[in-house]
Amino acid sequence: MMKKNKATAGLYLHIPFCLQKCLYCDFCSFAGQDGDTHARYVERLCREIVDRAVSVGQLTFDTVYFGGGTPTLLSPDLLGRVLDTARTHLCILPDAEVTVECNPATADAAKLSLLREAGVNRLSIGLQSADDGELRALGRAHTAKAAIETVRAARQAGFGNLSLDVMLGIPHQTRDSLDRTLDTLLSLSPEHISAYSLILEEGTPFYDARDTLPLPDEDTVVALTEQAFATLAGAGYARYEISNFARAGFESRHNLHYWRMDDYLGVGIAAHSLIGRERLQNRPDLAAYLDGEDITEREELLSDEVARDEYVMLGLRLVEGIDKREFRERFGLEFDALYPAIKGYARMGLMLDTPDRAAFTDKGFAVSNAVLAEMLFN
Amino acid sequence: MANNERMSHIRNFSIIAHIDHGKSTLADRLLEATQTVAQRDMEAQLLDNMDLERERGITIKARAVKLDYEAPDGEHYTLNLIDTPGHVDFNYEVSRSLNACEGALLVVDASQGIEAQTLANAYLAIDADLEIVPVINKIDLPSADIEKCRAEIEDVIGIPAEGCPAVSAKVGLNIPDVLEAVIRDVPAPEGDEDAPLKALVFDSYYDSYLGVVVMVRLRDGSVRAGDRMMMMSTGAQFDIVDVGTLEPFGLKKCDVLRAGEVGYITASIKSVGDTQVGDTVTLATNPATEALPGFRPAQSMVYAGIYPADGARYGDLRDALEKLQLNDAALLFEPETSIALGFGFRCGFLGLLHMEIIEERLEREFNLDLITTAPSVIYKIEKRDGTVTMIDNPSNYPDAAEIAQAFEPVVRASIITPTDFVGNLMDLCQDRRGVFIDMKYLDQTRVELHYDLPLGEIVYDFFDALKSRSRGYASLDYEMKGYEPSKLVKLDFLLNGEQVDALSFIVHEDKAYGRARKIAEKLKDNIPRQLFEVPIQAAIGAKIIARETVKAMRKDVLAKCYGGDITRKKKLLEKQKEGKKKMRQLGSVQISPEAFMAVLKLDDEEK
Repeated sequence: MMKKNKATAGLYLHIPFCLQKCLYCDFCSFAGQDGDTHARYVERLCREIVDRAVSVGQLTFDTVYFGGGTPTLLSPDLLGRVLDTARTHLCILPDAEVTVECNPATADAAKLSLLREAGVNRLSIGLQSADDGELRALGRAHTAKAAIETVRAARQAGFGNLSLDVMLGIPHQTRDSLDRTLDTLLSLSPEHISAYSLILEEGTPFYDARDTLPLPDEDTVVALTEQAFATLAGAGYARYEISNFARAGFESRHNLHYWRMDDYLGVGIAAHSLIGRERLQNRPDLAAYLDGEDITEREELLSDEVARDEYVMLGLRLVEGIDKREFRERFGLEFDALYPAIKGYARMGLMLDTPDRAAFTDKGFAVSNAVLAEMLFN
Repeated sequence: MANNERMSHIRNFSIIAHIDHGKSTLADRLLEATQTVAQRDMEAQLLDNMDLERERGITIKARAVKLDYEAPDGEHYTLNLIDTPGHVDFNYEVSRSLNACEGALLVVDASQGIEAQTLANAYLAIDADLEIVPVINKIDLPSADIEKCRAEIEDVIGIPAEGCPAVSAKVGLNIPDVLEAVIRDVPAPEGDEDAPLKALVFDSYYDSYLGVVVMVRLRDGSVRAGDRMMMMSTGAQFDIVDVGTLEPFGLKKCDVLRAGEVGYITASIKSVGDTQVGDTVTLATNPATEALPGFRPAQSMVYAGIYPADGARYGDLRDALEKLQLNDAALLFEPETSIALGFGFRCGFLGLLHMEIIEERLEREFNLDLITTAPSVIYKIEKRDGTVTMIDNPSNYPDAAEIAQAFEPVVRASIITPTDFVGNLMDLCQDRRGVFIDMKYLDQTRVELHYDLPLGEIVYDFFDALKSRSRGYASLDYEMKGYEPSKLVKLDFLLNGEQVDALSFIVHEDKAYGRARKIAEKLKDNIPRQLFEVPIQAAIGAKIIARETVKAMRKDVLAKCYGGDITRKKKLLEKQKEGKKKMRQLGSVQISPEAFMAVLKLDDEEK
């Protein structure tokens, strides 16, 4: 079983820079910023860590996550400065999981070694596909070969915990092309794999072109997903979340904080935080941030009821689902009494419901949104 | 003699035309030319003052306006222009409006010539003993052929057209000729000012300050404020508050209305149902001995259930229907309940167009989203126990075992069409279970067809089908013939094994299979995938005659949930939930109101 992150928290650092924007991406990032902007941003990031340290003084962090954007666009030096600042001003456990998102073609062996030395112990690498045609269709700034080289470089640099992303439902994707992608993926032997389907997010070029994109239809995406999940299971990767697979002990501790509704502090533009019942967000305003403005705003103060529903929404993303005893300890109420609809979904084969635990089945995961929309936030 | 002198300076007329031949534009020009409306106040198509009318280019309810005209010889005339609706649903209203006139301008498009509707309208006017004044319009068009048009009017309708006005209403050419022709050719009204009052109601509307404004044409007698009026069909009496004339921008009080004149009466009347079109107004103190001929109370031919898409707005829907009814004696409604749709109303309409107009007005003027069930006529059922029952709602249709004989209303339809389309239209009537009666050549190019047709078929978009199969040229009129025995069945639909009452309808046995398959397919296409597989079945009694299946949903998952932006993920779920709230629960199946309407909507293949 996975380790509990009881009373520990996650630290998220947002690096909003990319070589180029991928056509499907709706994360907050900017292409074409120069090294000077990078340095000023890092300076502000360090400042924000210091500013917010007092308000989260009670938190013990056991994960640090540099997300983006493409954090590896920054020099190891700059990333190291941020990490040092965090270590100085926040309570970060020595054995914390420290992840950096890394896009192929932005990091060579030398750079990765420096990151390793700075204390980074996990890389999340966006492979997405082993088919260069599909990568071009996604607007990715790298080839499959470059991704493979980046993984090799990471191994050379001593990284023993790598996560690779693959995407399902890419324009033009077929069972055959997915087979080749999965072969490549498994040959790289990562510890962790995220396999998620392409989502058309509003405000992206893909969304605008949605009527003309050669996307596989619903049934094909379902087939591709089943194919991928079966292959990963066969290769010893256990599914532990809707889209995440890992070898035993290599689940993403940082992401588990989100799904278990633990506290987390998000620093940098567009970063989100949950501190107790308070959800905070940093405005996605790079100019204001660089100007030294305080961009942190309260997004929501969760009522008991909303907190419970969010906990269920997030917890049910995990294969292990909701531990009913933990639920009772956390909220002082019986899960079964609050969510009686679970029984019906269990009869339909969409959920498992035992005296201790409620969780989605594989079949239920596939339609989990429809179920959650029925069940929660009434 | 003073009486005759007065009436010799009055002309009461209407304008009839094929759709798009420029009736409303000509009316606007006449108002302008008589300076009744200053040019700057002109709003295109003043007479059609409902948005809906302007958009559809049809006149829904009759309207009238008084024009003061000074002829070139210096004589002053009062011209009353009475506008008429142009759809078969409102044929009765048309006939009453025409009855209020002595003459009619028959507008013909110089580039199109006479068309079927021109002819049908001309016959209506001839039936009403009106003097017909042809007006050739649109002479500004390059394709205009005035002489050919004159010859056609003389050949086809058989009225002289030599020297009739040739105008362009659009550019305002030769409009004075029309006014001269009205003075010259439309007879002055006749009547006895000293006889007991007889005033024909040709329209009425409800005003929240005045109560019902009754538009009348006085045949005999006179009427003034303070008189006690009486409706001859009901005996209902009211004290008259005001009488007056109908000016372009409103009502203008006057002391007295006399025989031959057109005007309005107000008497704090609460509902137009009390002053139905075609009824005769007389005075309680000195009543006329008999009413004007031709009155017929409003008769609903088509019934449908109307439900608010949002069940919480039932009260708003009731208020809106009540408001519309104040102004529309032909609209009937009473509460009904559907298991599938909740609380709503069973409403009666003159016909399908009337129904569409009411729906649109409810949606536009009262901001209601509606779900309307399939329109139905009233069926008559003789049961085995000897009782007879009238069915206007398929839900009340008795069990087949209880029925001795079912009857459906049948109309005698008259269709006038150019010969080119006779084949098409006979096919159409055949498809609609019509019984051929006869066919008459009106001239070399025009045919009048008579068919007996079930009213239930007529209400299913027959008029639109007729128009589309005759490129708009054919016209339709019909009158009730009565109830005739018919092999009817009630078709039910089951979703996931549960019957959905709102989808049931009554249909002729021969058509049941085709309709069942069609609707089952439409349900399949319109019901979103649910978490479980949904069987769709069409049934007559216990017998399943068509089936389809909606496959279970396979994928609806938020693949990525990182970065801590949980609020946004939650919003996505909440949005999805909002969408679901609008869904109607039909048994265990959820379907959006739009999809429900799409299922009930008739499409081309069914016409």
